[in-house]
Amino acid sequence: MVMGLSLAACGNSDSGGDSNTFHVLVYGDAGNKVENDIVAEFNKTSKVKAVLDTIPGADYQAKLQTIINTKQAPDVFFNWGGGSIRPFVKAGLLQPLDDMIKQDPKLKSMFLPSVFNAGEVDGKAYGIPMRGTQPVLLFDNKKVLAEAGVEQPKTWDDLLAAVPKLKARGVTPIALGGGDKWPTLMWFEYLYDRIAGPDLLKKALAGDKDVWASADSKKALTTIKQLVDTGAFGKNFDSVKYTDGGSPTLVNKGRAGFELMGSWYFSQQQDSAPKFAADGLEYTTFPTVPGGKGDPADLVGNTNNYYSVMKKAPHKEAIAKFLAFMYSNHFINAQLQIGNLPTTTNTKDALSGSSNAKYLQYQYDLVAKAPDFQLSWDQAYTQDNSTPLQTAIQQFFNGTIDQDGFIKAMQGLNTD
Amino acid sequence: MVTLAASTRHGQRRRTRRPVGTSAGRPGIAWALPATAFFVLFAIVPLILVAVLSFASWNGLGAPTFNGLDNWNKIFDDPVMIKSLWLSVLLTALGVVVQTPLSILLGVWAAGSERNRAVLSAVFFVPLLLSATAVSILWRSLLDPNFGVPSQMQWLFGDGNLFGSQAGAIGVLVFVSAWQYTPLHTLIYQGATRAIPEVLYQAAAIDGAGRVRQFFNVTLPQLRNAIITSMILMIVGGLTTFDTVLILTQGGPGTDTTISAYYMYDKAFKGFDYGAGAAVALLLVVVATVISLVVVRVSGFDRMAGTQEGVS
Repeated sequence: MVMGLSLAACGNSDSGGDSNTFHVLVYGDAGNKVENDIVAEFNKTSKVKAVLDTIPGADYQAKLQTIINTKQAPDVFFNWGGGSIRPFVKAGLLQPLDDMIKQDPKLKSMFLPSVFNAGEVDGKAYGIPMRGTQPVLLFDNKKVLAEAGVEQPKTWDDLLAAVPKLKARGVTPIALGGGDKWPTLMWFEYLYDRIAGPDLLKKALAGDKDVWASADSKKALTTIKQLVDTGAFGKNFDSVKYTDGGSPTLVNKGRAGFELMGSWYFSQQQDSAPKFAADGLEYTTFPTVPGGKGDPADLVGNTNNYYSVMKKAPHKEAIAKFLAFMYSNHFINAQLQIGNLPTTTNTKDALSGSSNAKYLQYQYDLVAKAPDFQLSWDQAYTQDNSTPLQTAIQQFFNGTIDQDGFIKAMQGLNTD
Repeated sequence: MVTLAASTRHGQRRRTRRPVGTSAGRPGIAWALPATAFFVLFAIVPLILVAVLSFASWNGLGAPTFNGLDNWNKIFDDPVMIKSLWLSVLLTALGVVVQTPLSILLGVWAAGSERNRAVLSAVFFVPLLLSATAVSILWRSLLDPNFGVPSQMQWLFGDGNLFGSQAGAIGVLVFVSAWQYTPLHTLIYQGATRAIPEVLYQAAAIDGAGRVRQFFNVTLPQLRNAIITSMILMIVGGLTTFDTVLILTQGGPGTDTTISAYYMYDKAFKGFDYGAGAAVALLLVVVATVISLVVVRVSGFDRMAGTQEGVS
């Protein structure tokens, strides 16, 4: 942390006056390979130079929050869209990108709409997608399903019917890393979308607390409870974690049938169980729920990461040119090489040459066709809600609180 | 060991040394300056800043704005906050109850001079050398319900849902802390036991006391100051426990192991509500101070009474 901050601090010491640089701050991880590459490529032709700073570690958001209103603040920075930038927009720190888009319409038109829209706050564009998309998919162990006589479920009833068959074989029907809490949240995100449609959460985020008590909301909760009560997740899911390899191991060792997880699941299994990933791992979309208001093609998950621009940033024209690199072929190929799926309209043409082409193609088609791509709730809400939200999710799922308790907890979330 | 001659010599030395000690004087206030300066700079000043911040609303963006008693009203109305204080006290109490007897027995045993005891004591101390983070990650994996110890010992752990129930999660936290910190307290008791004059045991043996009797009537009373020292360390450590909770349970299931120190972190650094975080922190300081004072007062530790009056 100290290193990251001091890095940003020394880096920015020359940003005053008429210096010819702007600073780009990104989340420090393996993906920086591409960001370094793009900055170098940009600097080749630009008089104004971009300088890349990174804050290593998972606490990027906390550290960003402490520097963003100081002299050490970056000019362009990595974020998750939605709730991760809303406080900054409210504080008047961010530059709406509408003017840049007017100058270069491709800054909007070259990106898949469902992804680009998730970078908007209050109807204004604040983010340009800059890494890969990660929709949540339903994964399964092909062999376990075959032995139990179960097929990949197309509807909710298919999934319910699969539970007793898998249980009869002595396996946990659905693996769940409940100890991490956010994997449990994915079930809520999809069922709320399928049953109530994507508008419910959008209204809730806009401050309409009544939607949580609506008939659709209650139906979604009843549906979730019904699945938990069948024993679909076993009994000890709250002691299992995804992050320490607990739940994916259940699936790759054949001790669980399904797992609902982000698209990174595929590379996780390739790392930990290469043989299983090659010939035992299947994936499909979340089942449809008959009678629901949501489109069966809707997705939830991490839409993408975004670059946002500070209002106080110098050299806005150069920054616009820098952002234009996010739809260049160079960028797309570099992202595909490290396994990220960029969300530009021209990504499709570059897919065939990449490894895992089939899997990437599948996701790309889903994202391109999705009428709505809901950003994970814990990122759509502002950070101060993340603990109360995850607590309510876990407690409703394991039966500590009932429907009314859950509704009350969701109504208590801060939407200012 | 302590003969009459030795005791006389001791008495003489004391007599002759006293005037010298008086003339040299105790170290003046100047000696305490460096330590005091550091204490003020790194403990008192931050504490005052936290106190000020607890009356303000601040999310890290821009300047804090004062909001009077808002934070305080909020946390006293917050069921999670009240629960977290009880949980802090409960975990601390369980820590003391579990670790004290274990470390007294181990410490007294390790105080013996046989070689096997020395070797085994060295082994016992290993957990103390590991970081609490490493220890927590290790136990988290060992206690995985599907692939860890619980899956092999179903007669004991049932379905292995240790982290899914409040009792289970608290049990894990108490166990892991005990596993890591019992060696420290064992060390304290080992040293204290070795300092007990042999003559007391000889006298007890002459009076016909067996081993058990000797333990309860000689060793334990002699360890009184060591017990108080160790208990205060446990109480302070217990009330500020943070890393084990962060890694093992994240305050879960639900908020069932959200102790005050973790709740403070959660408010301030996950929710960016630094004002509320500061209020929780200050409340924790007050509670911890009151408990420490009570322990010191009740135990008579402040009088620093010796345990060997009339021995030599």
